Amino acid sequence: MHLQEPCVDGVVWTTVSRVTDPDLRAPPSPRVEALIAEVVEPDEPEPAVAIDNPNLTPEQREEAAKRAEQDRRDRRLVRRLKEGDERAFQELVQTYQNRIFGLMLRMISNRQEAEDLAQEVFIIVYRAIGSYRGEGRFYTWLYRIASNTCKNRIKYLKGRNFHRSVEIDETPQAQLPASDGGSIVSMQSQVPGPEQAAEGTRMEKVIQRELAALDPEHRLLIVLRDVQGLTYQDIIRITGLQEGTLKSRLHRARLALKERLQPYLR
Amino acid sequence: MAEPKTAEAEELMSAYLDEQLAPEEAARVEKLLAESPEAREELTGLQSMLKLVKGLPEVEAPPDFYEKVAKKIRRKRLLGGEGLWLLALPFQVLSVVLILVVAVTYMLLHLDADPSGQLEKDPTVQPPQPPASPAADPGHPAAPR
Repeated sequence: MHLQEPCVDGVVWTTVSRVTDPDLRAPPSPRVEALIAEVVEPDEPEPAVAIDNPNLTPEQREEAAKRAEQDRRDRRLVRRLKEGDERAFQELVQTYQNRIFGLMLRMISNRQEAEDLAQEVFIIVYRAIGSYRGEGRFYTWLYRIASNTCKNRIKYLKGRNFHRSVEIDETPQAQLPASDGGSIVSMQSQVPGPEQAAEGTRMEKVIQRELAALDPEHRLLIVLRDVQGLTYQDIIRITGLQEGTLKSRLHRARLALKERLQPYLR
Repeated sequence: MAEPKTAEAEELMSAYLDEQLAPEEAARVEKLLAESPEAREELTGLQSMLKLVKGLPEVEAPPDFYEKVAKKIRRKRLLGGEGLWLLALPFQVLSVVLILVVAVTYMLLHLDADPSGQLEKDPTVQPPQPPASPAADPGHPAAPR
């Protein structure tokens, strides 16, 4: 079932549209102000990537260089967007759409809902770009908006008893663990083929189902770290957690997921 | 129940797998792993689970994703402005007039067609008598003599 609640979209939209749109001169109401603060947070200064750090391995140095280049590109695009260049916005969307859509899909477990939510994130970015000061990375600012939007929506859907529509193969054979005749494969080690592809799809659904059963805070950490491969430092900036809290919470999240996936592990 | 130091070392296990620990913290976890078969089992379980989760395929947004975003922005920009209201005003007036015309026409037609809507004569009520003719009343002052 696809929930489309114009009131939610409308509120967020009105909220953000008043941030930067010079045509909308009416001051936002206190409720709207509160919603702005909830979704769009100011970017915090971030230390520059030290590419010439001698302690870095060649891989880390290459990764840092790529990241620095991406940040420079983002800054240029943001500057152009602030000047009203719609083409820059298109480039930003196309750069990050897969990651934001992926985040939403893994968090919400519903393709249509995830697409709507990811679109909403970019609409918010478009309208709120004026409040991005350029002191931190655009990437983490975007992810912060995405995770806040996602948390809001999860809270909202929970209040409405929205049931996630993870398409799971419910046949008994599909639910059997490897020792009982079920086919449990690591998706990384699959050789492409019709059967393996089907098994991979089934396993993906199983993981998605168990992921969806986790507490949203735990789910977010698993998705950011283990599915999307973000660094601890990025996750700290996105979630606002302390490093120690992140380490222990991520561990508890992983233990919870391991427990749920136990029949499928070998 | 695990001792505090052991519990603390267990909590660091994920960060250990991610190579995010300072050397002394990593040493604590390694000591725990050397001493505890349960800890080793837990570490192996975590590794297997991570292998599965990290193997999830990357998802791609629909190809027309940007077009949909741009369309929503255009639509909402239009809806957010004052121009649309002025643009829509004649249509709104026309719609109201049309609804009124349809309603009135329907009511008129419905009244004509519905027998219960017709006025019926009440048989108990006497029709009003015409005023008596002066010629028939000899006592009337206007009667001919």
